[in-house]
Amino acid sequence: MTATKSNSGTETPPASRAASLSRSLASVRLGIVVLSLIAATSILGSVIKQGGTEEEYLSLYSEKAYHFIKLFGFDDAYHSPWFYFLLALFALNLIACTVRRIRGLTGERGPGAKNAPDVKALAAAGSGFSAPVDTLGEISRRLSASSYKRKQLSERTTLYEKGSLARYGVLVIHASVLIVLLGGLIGLVAGDRGFLVLRVGETAEAAVSRERARLPVPLGFTVRCKDFNVTFYPGGQPKEYASDIEILDGAGKVLKEGRIKVNEPLSYNGVRLYQSSYGTSNSYTFRVDGREVVLAEQEVAKAGRTAFMVVRYAPQVHDFGPGVMVAYMDGEEPKTLWLLKDVERMRTRVIQGSRISLEGITSGYYTGLEMSRDPGVPVVLAGFGLMLAGLYINFFTFHRRIYVASDGAGIHVAGMASRNREGFLEELGRLSKDLV
Amino acid sequence: MITHDTILGVSTILYLALFFLYILYFTAGKKGILRIAWYGLLATFTMQAAGIGLRWAESYQLGMGHAPLSNYYESLIFFSWTISLIMIVMRKRLYPVITFSGATASLALMAYASLSPGVERGIQPLIPALQSNWLHVHVITCFLAYAAFLVSFTCGGLYFFESRGNVPTGRTLEDINYRSIIIGFSMLTSGILTGAVWAHYAWGSYWSWDPKETWSLITWIVYALILHLRFAGGWRGRRTALLSIVGFACVVMTYFGVNFFLAGLHSYAT
Ligand code: HEM
Repeated sequence: MTATKSNSGTETPPASRAASLSRSLASVRLGIVVLSLIAATSILGSVIKQGGTEEEYLSLYSEKAYHFIKLFGFDDAYHSPWFYFLLALFALNLIACTVRRIRGLTGERGPGAKNAPDVKALAAAGSGFSAPVDTLGEISRRLSASSYKRKQLSERTTLYEKGSLARYGVLVIHASVLIVLLGGLIGLVAGDRGFLVLRVGETAEAAVSRERARLPVPLGFTVRCKDFNVTFYPGGQPKEYASDIEILDGAGKVLKEGRIKVNEPLSYNGVRLYQSSYGTSNSYTFRVDGREVVLAEQEVAKAGRTAFMVVRYAPQVHDFGPGVMVAYMDGEEPKTLWLLKDVERMRTRVIQGSRISLEGITSGYYTGLEMSRDPGVPVVLAGFGLMLAGLYINFFTFHRRIYVASDGAGIHVAGMASRNREGFLEELGRLSKDLV
Repeated sequence: MITHDTILGVSTILYLALFFLYILYFTAGKKGILRIAWYGLLATFTMQAAGIGLRWAESYQLGMGHAPLSNYYESLIFFSWTISLIMIVMRKRLYPVITFSGATASLALMAYASLSPGVERGIQPLIPALQSNWLHVHVITCFLAYAAFLVSFTCGGLYFFESRGNVPTGRTLEDINYRSIIIGFSMLTSGILTGAVWAHYAWGSYWSWDPKETWSLITWIVYALILHLRFAGGWRGRRTALLSIVGFACVVMTYFGVNFFLAGLHSYAT
């Protein structure tokens, strides 16, 4: 029964319902609403702390507010599902709107229409002027000189046209917005980011993700820091810092080398390495059973049956000068002891039967590199270029059409411009004045 | 020895003179005053350009040569200068009230820059992240946008006054407003895009939702909304006037507010 009811004449047939859906999807009103929501979310995201820990939020907001923030994902607003939903809806809307516009441009209602307007009436209404017949050649000459294209519409009517590209400006702008979004999506799906810290001479095969899990991000090659340099301003602020980097393959062959500075990254195989920070750290030279071992803090080395590691450095241990605290395992039990560099008796200790002595402490630079792999970047950059071109075409060039029609008595000149009407009328005015 | 401080001080005084010249024009109504004001504006603009140029040269003598576009003080001076630049570029379309509001804004920025105790006025060394040619394009385009939006804001504000005497008609204001939004929107787009390209080279990420970036995007969206509401929604008059005021509030938030209320990558600007 219900089936017959819904088939009665008042109900919209499915085909036209789809059409009306696609029309609302393409509507500028939807675009305006979605853009406003994106702006509103951005405001929230800039005001509410992003990506903090639970404790940080609870120290800033009440518990209730924190639950609310968590529930709607305001603690990571720009990556929340509903922000992605807004962006997707926005993209769909823009696509639908653009498709409709392209149809309009190529369709018969578009500006390509060949029918000349009533030139005489237009001229009389103030969008042009009338002149004697013998000025026809002069008009044609002048308009061609200002790079108007001439098109014979009929025996008596000629069209002079300029800047017809301006019609496509909006199209280019909208397409470029979509291209930038596409580039962002590619980066999101196929991109990787991380950071790595290298002391001079050290190598790494992976960066570390900045996410809380701190997972390793494989580079696909080995990177070695050959050297690091920093120069300072007279006041002591860093002026420039740079790392000399080698890219190595698995066998240790150098594939590429170069210098990374702030603002001058190095790129290899789609991976970009950026100079991001630097600092100093100590390395400690030990003699373990006659063998030399160089360790940084938290690094582990074998000593006979056990392993040991430097857990702490103190520049002054009581009055005895610099020393390091070393940790090792005694069976199941972790133990620590101090080695003092400048005290003969305390420089060498025996750990689980191995003689370990602290020979030297050297301070050296480490370099902090940012790593990013983002195949979306070229797409985004192309979108940027297109957007600027589109803005220029749309706002700073305009489509001008001048119709010249002759009837037996004289000629009538009238024009239309897609924007900057006053400027265009002035142009027509000058033409008219020059002819008289 | 004349330093840039002296020259910038003189241009501040010239802005003050310009301010009173316009007041005089509004009360006396003599056309001749406008001519003097126009040449006064040109002179002030040139003087200020010389001051900025000299500061640039002095930074080289101090061994840290860089364009004076790198800290808050320098950006205030430059903002004030771009406002005059926009006034000169758009002169054919502008009216004395609008030029007056521009000169007043320039004066306020110069006075704030040179008097506020919170503004560090010395020439400072350039941190490595700022050593990029993208910085120049980025800053110049952004401030041209802000200056154009100031014109739009003035038109929006004037719309609520009766058009009489020195206040242009609603239609005229509407037209100037649209023109300035076109310039501002194109410049802001260029500013955001060059900023993104620079961030790509400096930090390895073209967009990181830092508060200043976010607020520039919000501002950009607001002006895009104005253009679309105008075109597709047929919005005119009070509603667009109101929106241009909202748009400029976003500009103020992007330029000043973010530095004071929200922290981020751009916070070196304070
Ligand atoms: C951030 C996104 C967008 C940007 C930057 C943008 C930019 C522009 C610009 C600069 C214009 C020209 C305005 C003028 O000439 O005064 C324009 C026109 C227009 N836009 Fe957008 N737009 C965006 C999103 C959208 C969306 C989502 C829609 C619709 C669903 C839309 C529909 C239109 C329409 C219908 C026009 C008028 C076209 C014409 O000249 O016939 N735009 N847009």
